[in-house]
Amino acid sequence: MSEQEKIIDIGDGAAIPDPRDKGLFSAWRIALIGTISLLVILPLAKPDPYAKILRFVPDGIWVTFEVTIASISLALIIGLLTGLGRISKNRYINLAASLYVEVVRGIPLLVQLFYIYFALGRIVRVPDIVAAVIAMSFCYGAYMGEVFRAGIKSIDFGQTEASLSLGFNRRQTMAYVILPQAWRTILPPVGNEFIALLKDTSLVSILAVADILRRGREYASESFNYFETYTMIALIYLLITLVLSKLISNMEHRLSHYERR
Amino acid sequence: MNAADPIIRINRINKYFGQFKALDNVSLDVELGEKVVVLGPSGSGKSTLLRAINRLETISSGSIVVDGHDLYAPGENINTIRMELGMVFQSFNLFKHKTVLENLTLAPIKLKKMDKGKVEELAFSLLDKVGIRDRADHYPVQLSGGQQQRVAIARALAMEPKIMLFDEPTSALDPEMIGEVLDVMVTLAREGMTMVVVTHEMGFAREVADQVVFMDDGAIVEMARPDMFFDNPRHSRTKLFLEQIL
Repeated sequence: MSEQEKIIDIGDGAAIPDPRDKGLFSAWRIALIGTISLLVILPLAKPDPYAKILRFVPDGIWVTFEVTIASISLALIIGLLTGLGRISKNRYINLAASLYVEVVRGIPLLVQLFYIYFALGRIVRVPDIVAAVIAMSFCYGAYMGEVFRAGIKSIDFGQTEASLSLGFNRRQTMAYVILPQAWRTILPPVGNEFIALLKDTSLVSILAVADILRRGREYASESFNYFETYTMIALIYLLITLVLSKLISNMEHRLSHYERR
Repeated sequence: MNAADPIIRINRINKYFGQFKALDNVSLDVELGEKVVVLGPSGSGKSTLLRAINRLETISSGSIVVDGHDLYAPGENINTIRMELGMVFQSFNLFKHKTVLENLTLAPIKLKKMDKGKVEELAFSLLDKVGIRDRADHYPVQLSGGQQQRVAIARALAMEPKIMLFDEPTSALDPEMIGEVLDVMVTLAREGMTMVVVTHEMGFAREVADQVVFMDDGAIVEMARPDMFFDNPRHSRTKLFLEQIL
């Protein structure tokens, strides 16, 4: 394990599969095959209620994706600014960024969701899904900020000095030299945060956002097929995160091209 | 600036790291085209002096004027001044995410807004000069230390600086690679480049230097032409240093 990888600790997202693991019986492969099999076999074997559930829930998948993509995009921007703020030499910027991280990290996501949803509701009337995205990105921006900070810090200071000595200013140094290299270190934890965020979007179902879980709950409360519904919902989440974690690990492998001899 | 003025004028600079005095009232002039080699035991302040010239180290007092620009004058842009000062580091510090060619072309393209084709032409001629043209599309990690350092020299030259600063350029190299880097530096010196070199390579100092500066405890102890310096050192500390190292 290189020095860079040690600095960033893997969060609570899905396990990133090892791209070098070519074994037929890798954990990832078993989980994927199992998930797909169940998603196919159950509706075939018992169309009522499994096939019905499968027809009812997909609307929610798109909502889940929408919330996830919008939140991660905003969280990346907030995270980059926060990370830069946390390493800033300006003490006020530094303090503001640190304060944000401290506050957000100390409050459970569910509480933040309620808080932002209702606090925002008193000021402006925004669609539920927008409030959900704001709350998710506000929270994940802080986590992302720590990832960016660690990633930037992991780049050898000699890179900065070389860049400055050529005549680049600090901002150009960050843009052309540090961030492109830090991205490589940042990607695995960002991928983890992405998957963790996707799973955490299930929390927005309490805010009347019709995501996968919400759709499932709606179906279950009408049909009373709680066990079957939550089985399918769990399988759908699992399929999505398994595929995403594979994509991310492949991307990570591609990005490391300049480290291969 | 007058044509006769030195291109680097270091005037009575001091530098503290906390209580520790890293530079003690150092003054040094470097003329255009002159090669100055700075010697001294480790911790003597020679690297700090070199890094002060492009303000990678800020000084506590005194003044440094490079090519007519006071490094600490308000209104002077340090980044513009640094474009005149190529620097080569002990640990190469090549941009790891860029190929050899991109390492050379990044700064001229972004900072001088030069045409990409022109920069690449220049870059290839520099890679020819340091003997590494065939590795243009390799990444730094794929090169040996000596090759990396030669690329680092070429990268600094790609900005077409007036002055080259070398901070122990061979100290991190395996012995068999030191020669190839020194050869490049000797060639550069022959072409008339103004150079300030911090090194432990006595052979290089003797062959190339116009002035040898010996530092100890943050101060310049002795400054002389190389033949005088090596054959007739005046100061007892210089004699001791030369006895230990030769």
